[in-house]
This record gives sequence, C-alpha cells and structure tokens, in this order.
Amino acid sequence: MDALLALSDGLAAAVQRAGRALCAVHARPRVPSSGVHWRSGLVVTASHTVRVEEDLTVVRADGRSVVATLVGRDPALDLAVLKVEATELPVADLGESDGVHVGHMVLALGAGPRASWGVVSAIGPARSRHAETDVFSLDLTLYAGFSGGPLVDARGLVVGINTSGMSRNLQLAIPAKVVSRVVDQLVRHGRIPQAYLGVGTQVVRVPETVREQLHLAQETAVIVIEVQPGSPASSGLLMGDVVLALDGHAIADPFDLRGVLRPERIGQRITASVLRGGQRLDVPLTVGERPPRSR
Amino acid sequence: MDLGALATELRRITVAVLGSDHVAGAGVAWAPGWVVTNAHVARESHVTLQRADGTRAEARVMARDPEEDLALLHAPRLNGADATLADNGEVRVGALIVAVGHPFGVRGAMTAGIVHAVGPLVRGGRPWIQADLKLAPGNSGGPLADAHGRVIGVNTMIAGTLALAIPVSRVVRFVAKAR
Repeated sequence: MDALLALSDGLAAAVQRAGRALCAVHARPRVPSSGVHWRSGLVVTASHTVRVEEDLTVVRADGRSVVATLVGRDPALDLAVLKVEATELPVADLGESDGVHVGHMVLALGAGPRASWGVVSAIGPARSRHAETDVFSLDLTLYAGFSGGPLVDARGLVVGINTSGMSRNLQLAIPAKVVSRVVDQLVRHGRIPQAYLGVGTQVVRVPETVREQLHLAQETAVIVIEVQPGSPASSGLLMGDVVLALDGHAIADPFDLRGVLRPERIGQRITASVLRGGQRLDVPLTVGERPPRSR
Repeated sequence: MDLGALATELRRITVAVLGSDHVAGAGVAWAPGWVVTNAHVARESHVTLQRADGTRAEARVMARDPEEDLALLHAPRLNGADATLADNGEVRVGALIVAVGHPFGVRGAMTAGIVHAVGPLVRGGRPWIQADLKLAPGNSGGPLADAHGRVIGVNTMIAGTLALAIPVSRVVRFVAKAR
C-alpha cells in the first residue's frame, strides 16, 4: 500500500484506539477539559482544570455522563485523579514512555475526539516546578480543552498526559510512567507527600575568602530570609544563615534545596552546613512533610 | 504517492483568483469551465483566474452565497484538470490532509496536517471540517484534500490556529443549486 495512505490510516486508527478511553471532564466553568480512563474506575486529568471539588461529571467516549469524585491531586505535575463508577469502560492502552524520543511523531487528543499532530521537541526537567521529573515538550497545538488528554504514539498507545497549565508558552506532557506512579501514590495516600523545611531563601554570592578557607567549588549559596514558625527549620536555622550544603549536597540555588528534599526523606535527620556570623557550623534538622494548607 | 506528488497533483486543480494588484485567494477547478471559491474571495461580478502553469482566463461570477461563503465561477476558456471529490462520510479524525493555496501570495504553497474534528464549532452551528493545519490569508477558496488527493473541503476560515473548511458535500449541494 501507498506509504502516505498507510500513514494517514495509521494516524486515524491511533486516534480511534486511544479515543476509546478518552473522556470529557466537567470540573470548571465553560470549556470542559479532557481525561483518560487510566485504570478501572480511575480517570486522570490535569489538576489545573479541576476547579471545583464537588459535583464533578465525566462524560465517557460513548456519550454517557457519570458522577466523579476527586481522589487527589499533584499540583506540581498538574495531575488529578478522579474516581468514576464506570468499570466496564475501556481502559487506556499504555505505552512505554521511556521509549519516546525527541523527534517521535505523536498525537494529542481532546474529548470528542479531536486531534492534533506533531513531534516531541525536547525531553527534560520542568525545572521551575519539579526539578526531578523529566517531561515531554511538544511541537503541536494543545487546543482549548486538550489539557488532561492523552499524548498518543503512532501505534495509538497512551504515552503521557498533556497540559498547557504549567507554562503559558509551552505544550508539555507528563510521561505515562510518571503518571502511573502519581496514580499509585494518590490512590494509597490521597495526596503526594511533599518534603519541606519551612524556609524562604535567596541566592547569595559566597565571598572569595570563605570559598578559599572552606575549599568550596560553588560560587553561590542560599541565604535564609524567612523561617516559618513551628516548621522543621525553626528548631535550628536562623534568618541570615547562609546554607552552603544540605546532607552533603552543595546548595547553589533554591532549586538545589528542592532536589535534596525528596518525599522519601520525610522524617529523616539531615545536616545543614551553614555560615553564621562568619563561622561555619553543622545544624541538624529533621525533614518534615509540608502541611496541605500551605501548598 | 509521496507528499511532493500529492502537492503537484493538487496544484493542477488549484487556481489563483486575481485581484487588481494581488492574489485575492484560491479556487478549486470543479468541472470543465467551472471553478468554486469563497464568496469573500470573489467580490466582483467578473474575476481573472490563473492556473499553476500561468495561463489566465476570465470568469463570470454565476452564483454567490455570502452566508454559505461560496461562489461559483464560470470560465469557459479555462482548460486543465478538475478536482476529484471525496465522500465526506469517509473523513476520519486523525487522517492526514493537505491544503494548497497562495498564503500571503506564495503561489501553490502546500501545508500538511490532520483532521482535528468534523462538525460545528458550537452546538447548533454549521458543520466544518476542522483541521490541525496551517492556513493563512490567500488559502481561502482553495482545496483541502485527503492522502489520495481527493478534495474533502474548501478552505474558508481560521479560528485561532484551527483551519476551517466547508465540507465537500455542502459545496456539491451549492453547486447543484447554482448551476
């Protein structure tokens, strides 16, 4: 068969295959967003499109409307998981998101189904929000209502969840592997535990003399400009402290702090290497879990 | 057929509708001596058409429906190939499509994309072939075609980044009424 016709039929078949697990999520005024029936009774969508937490409705691919409840959300990755009573609905065929590379042809789908076509333009950390997770940057149009919908490979397998909510200028997708991990955590805990110390910091230059004296490679560190009362940091850190390292990892900017403060460290005792009044000292701290209200 | 061959084939059935000093839009060679374009492209009673090979022919605007945004032009001396029409019932979301026209005056430019959706933009509105494909002024009145090179619609509007084409079935109905 003609290569062009085969490609055209393949793309249309991919839309049809992935479209079976696609739904419309009514959780905000006006334009509904999209969602994917990820596991039996669980629909994944984009967190920023879930504006109300009650009276949620999901319209399935067959046009039937079902009531949904919010299981939990991960605002950092812009994912939300909804529970629906629709276990007979087809579940998405998930693809291996590790096999997706820059340049791969992909489709983004919105409820309808509606489709958009393009390529993966980059894979890397969404540094501003969640330093440790690689996300897909997409060269395609995410039309109104496409957030929360599936990123689909040429075979029709779902390899991610699309969102335009994390940045105004970027079209991003969270890889399927990461989505599955988030779904696991939200089903188990109802939330994504976030490690925190309770400090506000800013980048400062480390004086040359101090760098020589302490044999530091880093040119910058972070200065503590806020200590939240009752937080893990309040037992050891003071305003004006310069944090050079945390648990042996050099801290050159606030993103490095976040890189060290991973969820699995909650409850662990770690040591902050601090410059206070010209003296270097070790401050022991216990990593806490960020209380839900301050997220 | 590859995309290049598809572009060549579609250029043969795409005409330029010439204004006084610019290209007003595109048109589809519909049947021998007959061309379809948008009503907003053919605003006068007579227009000049030009084929991709450079040959020109005068045309008379025989019918014009501003609401439908379609116009039927009669050009008895226009020679050359005519469009093959697709059956709109076969248009699938995700299928590869191409548009040929004269965006910003660039003659015979092709853009490729996929079918985004088929239907009205708002409930109760008129049906469109909604295309995830780049159109620009100068594409109006030109063909939107499938991977076979069959015309599935007449490119008409841009809504944000979405391209809108009048489904061929509606164009067929308009032409039947106008002739």
